[in-house]
Amino acid sequence: MTIAIGFEGSANKLGVGIIRDQDVLSNVRHTYITPPGEGFLPRETAQHHRECILNVLQKALDEAKITLKDVDVICYTKGPGMGAPLTVTALIARTVAQIYNKPIVAVNHCIGHIEMGRLITGSVNPTVLYVSGGNTQVIAYSRQRYRIFGETIDIAVGNCLDRFARLLKLSNDPSPGYNIEQLAKKGTKLAPLPYVVKGMDVSFSGILSYIEEHLSGWLNSKEFTPEDLCFSLQETVFAMLIEITERAMAHVKSSEVLIVGGVGCNEKLQDMMKVMCEERNAVLHATDERFCIDNGVMIAVAGLLQYKTQGHTSWAETTCVQRYRTDDVHISWRE
Amino acid sequence: MSTFSVNLSIPFPSGREAEIAYQVLRVDREPSRGSIAKSLTLDNNLLQISISGTEARKVRVALTSFFDSLILVTETIQLFGPPVPTYNYY
Repeated sequence: MTIAIGFEGSANKLGVGIIRDQDVLSNVRHTYITPPGEGFLPRETAQHHRECILNVLQKALDEAKITLKDVDVICYTKGPGMGAPLTVTALIARTVAQIYNKPIVAVNHCIGHIEMGRLITGSVNPTVLYVSGGNTQVIAYSRQRYRIFGETIDIAVGNCLDRFARLLKLSNDPSPGYNIEQLAKKGTKLAPLPYVVKGMDVSFSGILSYIEEHLSGWLNSKEFTPEDLCFSLQETVFAMLIEITERAMAHVKSSEVLIVGGVGCNEKLQDMMKVMCEERNAVLHATDERFCIDNGVMIAVAGLLQYKTQGHTSWAETTCVQRYRTDDVHISWRE
Repeated sequence: MSTFSVNLSIPFPSGREAEIAYQVLRVDREPSRGSIAKSLTLDNNLLQISISGTEARKVRVALTSFFDSLILVTETIQLFGPPVPTYNYY
């Protein structure tokens, strides 16, 4: 039996998770929530992580009923993400590794999402839609790489949703995307928004500018309500994502879809994806907010796989990088 | 152009604790756009830090960020220590 602990802090979620082989022992998360209308910035987010990390770590150990002495390998997020917040979790991972003389493994955040999604849902070789505040990618596995079939050419879909929520001054608690989803349920009228699919890629920044330009006009004339706009934005951007996912599935002849990343817990997106999957006789795998949203367990899962095939990361390499593409990682644990 | 520099010698209760702080903090590079030179050295139970640069503001920022990290390391050692004597996974 091997026990792995994962530290995640690449954005505004700080998470520590512990697994024993394939069993989740604990999954503790603390989110840095900003006031309505404001996003999270690197310096303040890092400050939040510094203030909370030791409590989150202790809570994760208590819930798992172990001490750091029992841990076999320490895993942390190397990137991609915001530099300052990433550095905090890496620092703690290195310090506890030194205190207890444990090997350390640097993990790619995107690979963490994919491997944990596969473990939790039991999907074998899915086409992956990875959608979050920082990433939007359609991914399929081939010859020891997760290959990116399509991605955003500007901002991530979650970033588009977050910034739209800021325009409407929606609450960031528990997350802007969740509040958009709830309001959208009351929307009835579809506003005409740009639909931007370019080959296998998508673009969201133009949609956001278009909304910024028309927002006050729409609301003042009562042509559309905030609820209508939440509904319209979700319909438009999710349709774009499903189009490119379906095309990737047709290309690789896949009959499984796995949705991962923070936006993946949106039930509207899951429902739309399910319709597409049923039409193609495919199976949809998705998880709830415990595992979709950034967490420590995903880092422990991917880290443990990496540790078992490649061993630990050398000390000098236990740094952080803001850019670290999904297809940069050699997937040594799959055929 | 004049150079601004800060040199500090930080004492730890034991050589091993100073070594942990040294090993943990030496890994991350300063952001390259900062035009800051930082060097860390270990002398028994003393951690020595030298930060220099041509802009006073950037030297101060680098020092603040060094202390943010150092404090986090020492708090972690206090809470989860005492440390084992050696590290075998370099």
